[in-house]
Amino acid sequence: MTSNRPSLPTPGSTGSDLSSSTSSNNSDNNQIPNLHSLQNSSSQLSIKSNSWRASVNFGSKGVSVADSEGFSISRREINEDDARLVYVNDPLKTNETFEFCGNSIRTGKYSVFTFLPRNLFEQFHRVAYMYFLIIAILNQLPQLAVFGRGASILPLASVLFVTAVKDAYEDWRRHKADKIENNRLSSVLVNDQFQHKRSKDIQVGEIVKVSADETIPCDIVVLCTSDPTGVAYVQTINLDGESNLKTRYAKQETLSRVPGKDVISGLIKCEKPNRNIYGFQANMEVDGKRVSLGPSNIILRGCVIKNTDWAVGVAVYAGRETKAMLNNSGAPSKRSRLETHMNREIILLSFFLVTLCIIVSACAGFWLRRHQDELDIMPFYRRKDYSKEQVENYNYYGLGMEIFFSFLMSVIVFQIMIPISLYISMELVRVGQAYFMIRDDKMFDAASNTRFQCRALNINEDLGQIKYVFSDKTGTLTENKMEFQFASISGVDYSGEKIEFYGEQGGYNIQVDGQVWRPKMKVQVDSKLLKLSKTRNDTKSSKEIYDFFLALAACNTIVPIVVNTSNPNEKLIDYQGESPDEQALVYAAAAYGFMLIERTSGHIVIDIQGERQRFNVLGMHEFDSDRKRMSVILGYPDSTVKVFVKGADTTMFKVIDESLNLSVVKSTENHLHSYSSIGLRTLVVGMRALSIAEFDTWQTSYEIASTALMGRAGLLRKVAVNIENNLSLLGASAIEDRLQKGVPEAIESLRKAGIKVWVLTGDKQETAISIGYSSKLLTSKMMQIIINNNSKMSCKKSLEDALVTSRKLINVTRASEDDASSVALIIDGTSLVYILDSELEEQLFELASKCAVVLCCRVAPLQKAGIVALIKNRTDDMTLAIGDGANDVSMIQMADVGVGISGQEGRQAVMASDFAMGQFRFLVPLMLVHGHWNYQRMAYMILYNFYRNALFVFILFWYVLYTGFTLTTSITEWSSVLYSVIYTAIPTIVVGILDKDLSRKSLMTYPQLYGSGQRKESYNAKLFWVTMVDTLWQSVVVFFIPLLAFWESDIDSSSLGDLWTLAVVFIVNIHLAMDVIRWTWISHASIWGSIIATCICVIIIDAIPALPGYWAIFNLASSGLFWICLLGILIASMIPRFIVKMFMQHCKPCDRQIAREAEKFQNAMEITRNGEIEMNLPHR
Amino acid sequence: MDHKNSKKPTYSRFSQQELPAWKPILTPGWAIASFITIGTLFIPIGLLALSASDNVVEISDRYDEVCVPDDYSSKAESYIQNPDVKKTCIRTIKVPKKLVAPIFVYYQLENFYQNHRRYVKSRSNKQLRDPKAEDDTHDCFPKSKTKDGKPIVPCGLIAWSLFNDTYKLSTRGKEISINKKGIAWKSDRKAKFGSNVYPKNFQKEGLIGGATLDEQIPLSEQEDLIVWMRTAALPKFRKLYGKIETDIEAHDSIKVEIENNYNTYKFGGRKKLVLSTTTWIGGKNDFVGMAYIGVGGICLFMGINFILLYVFRPRRLGDPSYLSWNRHPIA
Repeated sequence: MTSNRPSLPTPGSTGSDLSSSTSSNNSDNNQIPNLHSLQNSSSQLSIKSNSWRASVNFGSKGVSVADSEGFSISRREINEDDARLVYVNDPLKTNETFEFCGNSIRTGKYSVFTFLPRNLFEQFHRVAYMYFLIIAILNQLPQLAVFGRGASILPLASVLFVTAVKDAYEDWRRHKADKIENNRLSSVLVNDQFQHKRSKDIQVGEIVKVSADETIPCDIVVLCTSDPTGVAYVQTINLDGESNLKTRYAKQETLSRVPGKDVISGLIKCEKPNRNIYGFQANMEVDGKRVSLGPSNIILRGCVIKNTDWAVGVAVYAGRETKAMLNNSGAPSKRSRLETHMNREIILLSFFLVTLCIIVSACAGFWLRRHQDELDIMPFYRRKDYSKEQVENYNYYGLGMEIFFSFLMSVIVFQIMIPISLYISMELVRVGQAYFMIRDDKMFDAASNTRFQCRALNINEDLGQIKYVFSDKTGTLTENKMEFQFASISGVDYSGEKIEFYGEQGGYNIQVDGQVWRPKMKVQVDSKLLKLSKTRNDTKSSKEIYDFFLALAACNTIVPIVVNTSNPNEKLIDYQGESPDEQALVYAAAAYGFMLIERTSGHIVIDIQGERQRFNVLGMHEFDSDRKRMSVILGYPDSTVKVFVKGADTTMFKVIDESLNLSVVKSTENHLHSYSSIGLRTLVVGMRALSIAEFDTWQTSYEIASTALMGRAGLLRKVAVNIENNLSLLGASAIEDRLQKGVPEAIESLRKAGIKVWVLTGDKQETAISIGYSSKLLTSKMMQIIINNNSKMSCKKSLEDALVTSRKLINVTRASEDDASSVALIIDGTSLVYILDSELEEQLFELASKCAVVLCCRVAPLQKAGIVALIKNRTDDMTLAIGDGANDVSMIQMADVGVGISGQEGRQAVMASDFAMGQFRFLVPLMLVHGHWNYQRMAYMILYNFYRNALFVFILFWYVLYTGFTLTTSITEWSSVLYSVIYTAIPTIVVGILDKDLSRKSLMTYPQLYGSGQRKESYNAKLFWVTMVDTLWQSVVVFFIPLLAFWESDIDSSSLGDLWTLAVVFIVNIHLAMDVIRWTWISHASIWGSIIATCICVIIIDAIPALPGYWAIFNLASSGLFWICLLGILIASMIPRFIVKMFMQHCKPCDRQIAREAEKFQNAMEITRNGEIEMNLPHR
Repeated sequence: MDHKNSKKPTYSRFSQQELPAWKPILTPGWAIASFITIGTLFIPIGLLALSASDNVVEISDRYDEVCVPDDYSSKAESYIQNPDVKKTCIRTIKVPKKLVAPIFVYYQLENFYQNHRRYVKSRSNKQLRDPKAEDDTHDCFPKSKTKDGKPIVPCGLIAWSLFNDTYKLSTRGKEISINKKGIAWKSDRKAKFGSNVYPKNFQKEGLIGGATLDEQIPLSEQEDLIVWMRTAALPKFRKLYGKIETDIEAHDSIKVEIENNYNTYKFGGRKKLVLSTTTWIGGKNDFVGMAYIGVGGICLFMGINFILLYVFRPRRLGDPSYLSWNRHPIA
């Protein structure tokens, strides 16, 4: 699924057999074998969590899981042949047997010497250029020399030259960047002392020291860090764009050794360099002990060390073998639908070409045969050469060969029937269109300061034909800026007014050394709860509130980072973590006076209502997708020990001791229900005090588990399950995942445009449905069909039932013409497991295509792709997938058009996408406006290019019929060459970039106009044939009017050729001018400029005495017949087109036509008053 | 947001695709107006062209078959190739209308492919212009060099096949002088054919293709050659032979004395002598006039049709009820 795209590895496709082995290890209640296992393994492999979106996030699952990964791998030997051996601190030995790649990088493709051959080689990879080349080579054979040498090579040479200059410039810039990168200094251990070394001189096996805020020069395995527990925090923004901090760990065995003081030696055996940035598989032999290394032990080139004074590691991959460089591939390439269809028509055109060539060569054969006896002395053939003693044939190779040669020659003469220049024009046009999309200030997101990005340059026009939009929910429809909204603490709902603290002195702050520290983000707080949380007495409710907020502040993996502000007396605390939910909770706790200010691996410091308290973190059970909760064991300053647990309601209520307070549990459940019904994400918090005995038991088993060499993850989970029980319920939190601005309006517009919007989310059903309502995807009038099943049989049954109901309903609505009561299908991931890849798919497709809305909840990343494929494989409709996270990558790659939201979550979706933008609502201008324009422009341009080239070829062909089928062209060879280069090239490109059939305002107000692209109105087989018939007519007019007018006259072939040249260029440009809708000064300049340029070129060509046509144009222009012919050709060739166009416009006006008229006539007043500038989007 | 760091695209009418533009729409009014205008413009032009063509007096006489003596009628080729047979042939042509000077004398060849690929290529433009380039004959095969390797000037098939029939015209016993000066383009005489290039080794050996050239006269003054070397566009073509600068009265008969030398019998080519006057549209040509009247007629007809269409089936421009979603409401 993803293999055909050279992009970042997707979590779903990480390490092949790796995933299966670990998943069977780790997920014991693995009821859904194939999809779930993949999901699990991917979430474990990747440092960044995926599955937290499958429910609420409980924390990061960095280390332990990944570690256990390492252990399970260590049992599988790394194959000796595939391994890379790195001797720690011994680069000489490391590089002894195999010279590993040095650390100098070269992104530049060429050197001075290799530029010419390599660049040419690369350019000729394009089919278009090969065609040019073959034709040019054919033309060099003396028997086939139709054009002169110069004329035949010029077009190819000019294209090659332009591309080469462009490539050379880009490469020069890359070389410059490389130089800077290679000469950066880093600290390397040489003779037990750290010395500065240029980055390019670092070798594999050397020990590198990196300080805070420094960029890692190569991929290193962490040996030790400034933190005694061996933790290093890294920012991977350069690698995957995620701005949050990630933790990397040094191994126990090495973390105590400080290089320079202690001797470090060892052998690392790791896998061959690969591009998977989320996987690393190795083991290290230190002091005879064998330790396994996983992805959490390696820091990759390009990452930045944060919040850690220094880290020391050994280089394992350097230079171009680093994972960052291996991933340095360009944007993925897709081919647009229009281009696929165009290629079909190009095959037709080549069929025309072959037909013309066969006709010419067959006729030539007949002619030669008929005149066989006369050829010898025929004055215009003279087969025999009498000048030598031996009378022999001159330039005649027998009838068969002559026919063959005339076939090849006709291919050369008619070569532009295949519009090769079209491919180049299309590329230019797409660049131009991309420029306008990027520069569109209506698609600029001020909040994240991101412009629209065009990553794929070849599917612009697909945006105008989309029928299905598959959208992720979190981060795409919603902002993914979690905001703490409500809390339910021991059965009391605090969801009152929340404006109290907002804006007043910027919220809660603390004093540290005379400085004011405050949280970076402000949170709205509930006044009642705030008051309660501030009063500290021994009442039960006050204690519960204390515990609740302590749990929020402590039970997480958030790292507080103190940031300076412009005010020296004020500092901000930035909570860095992998999950936005946790961030929201910690910010909330801080706002209520429980401010987390320090975290190390052993303790945390929380400022509680101005009083700083230090808690020991005795243990932490990270989140995993089976438990769906996390817990932390805190040692209080008074040496009591408590376990705090937070997690999803489904799993939390199982471990809560309901007997403690049944009514609280019941009311909390009610609150949870009401929270999630308005689309909030909920978490349940519980705690339990541990007795000394309990703690000791836990501690021993925890220590055994966390040092276990095998199956560590499983053991740790067991330990966690043992301690996470009989909890007392503290309360529940509700976090709002706010809808992005303009989402409901955008969805409304898309729906009006006839686009089906499907939402695929990992969230739970209630949340999904509530977001559905708030985004106006679902309306109360809709009938909802919900499919939640646990077996294949029940799935089948509910699908069948649903089909029956939907059919009934649709029949009813059809009868009553009531469009409001449509069907919405809501289906969950579990059911999809049974449906996708089985015979039930067909039924699901049938059902889904009847539904106005489809909501899929709790779906795994691969299922998202599966759903896209469901539509893509069964219909001809175009699909677009939009998402922001790593879990959307597979869907984005599967869809015809992938759009990434460049928001806060990682950049993986963006990296895999074809287009990236800041907000969901930009989809509307992107598709309805730019997509529509691009489609119309490109469709017109393709048809026009077919017409333009075919017209010229037909004219040449007609003339060949009057030359004894000998492929003489009366049009000079220079004009033939310049025809598609100078005479007609620029207007079509300008129109392809600039013409707008409708204004932005009309397209936004009437989204239905988008339908023209979906219905393929501007490019289809019918239009192609109509265009070809028109072409034929025009060629007949252009050719035969002069022919008959100058029949039996003393016209010479150069003069007639000039007349044809001018006539064809004039009508080709006038034809375009008739179809231009918006005449800006640029269109005027290009069209009239081309005509003038043609005249100038013809004059110049005819002013060269060495050419046979010398002065022909001047003699011609002095005759009245010439002008009469030209005028007659222009009018006669356009008349059929004009009549058909008028007739269609009047009797069968298309929507675009009506809208254009409405734009001009009905709003004439308005337009003149406001001008088009102020016609902003109706949806803000 | 910091203003300097903002990546917000700078606004310009160009980048927002909002350049001022003229947005013409083909309204019924415009369409009818253009049809009627074209119609009313084209029909008079057509009539003018027809009348001009009508004023042209053109007399043509095909003589290739008639000029073969009866005893050679079945073997015309051996007649034309036999140097001993007298080639003179007398024809009489009637003048139907007064020919007003200047009268152009053409010879017309048919079925002669002067645009044949082998033929058009077989020349050296350099050699014709520049005496130093007389060896530039590589394109001229098979007529580039003599057997002993001397370059032929002018080389190539085109020059070799130079037309060599001659005409003597007389009426009422008086010879009509044919002016053969100034029949070639001035530009050709000035720049394309050198005034210091003289014919060399031309038609001296091997197969004789046509006329010989006086080696004392530079190429720039060999106007027959210059005319001949401006190769015709079509296989049926005329070449200017000369101009008659006196009027010829109607109903006169012209006696033409033809030296019938040029061999077209081999490939079934035809030869004609044409006398013609000219007007602003050139020679006799009814096609242009007819075409203009035809096109103009169609335009008028379509204009009327569209008027009827708009009267009987009017449609308000921009009427939203024609939009597809208003015609068939969708869900």
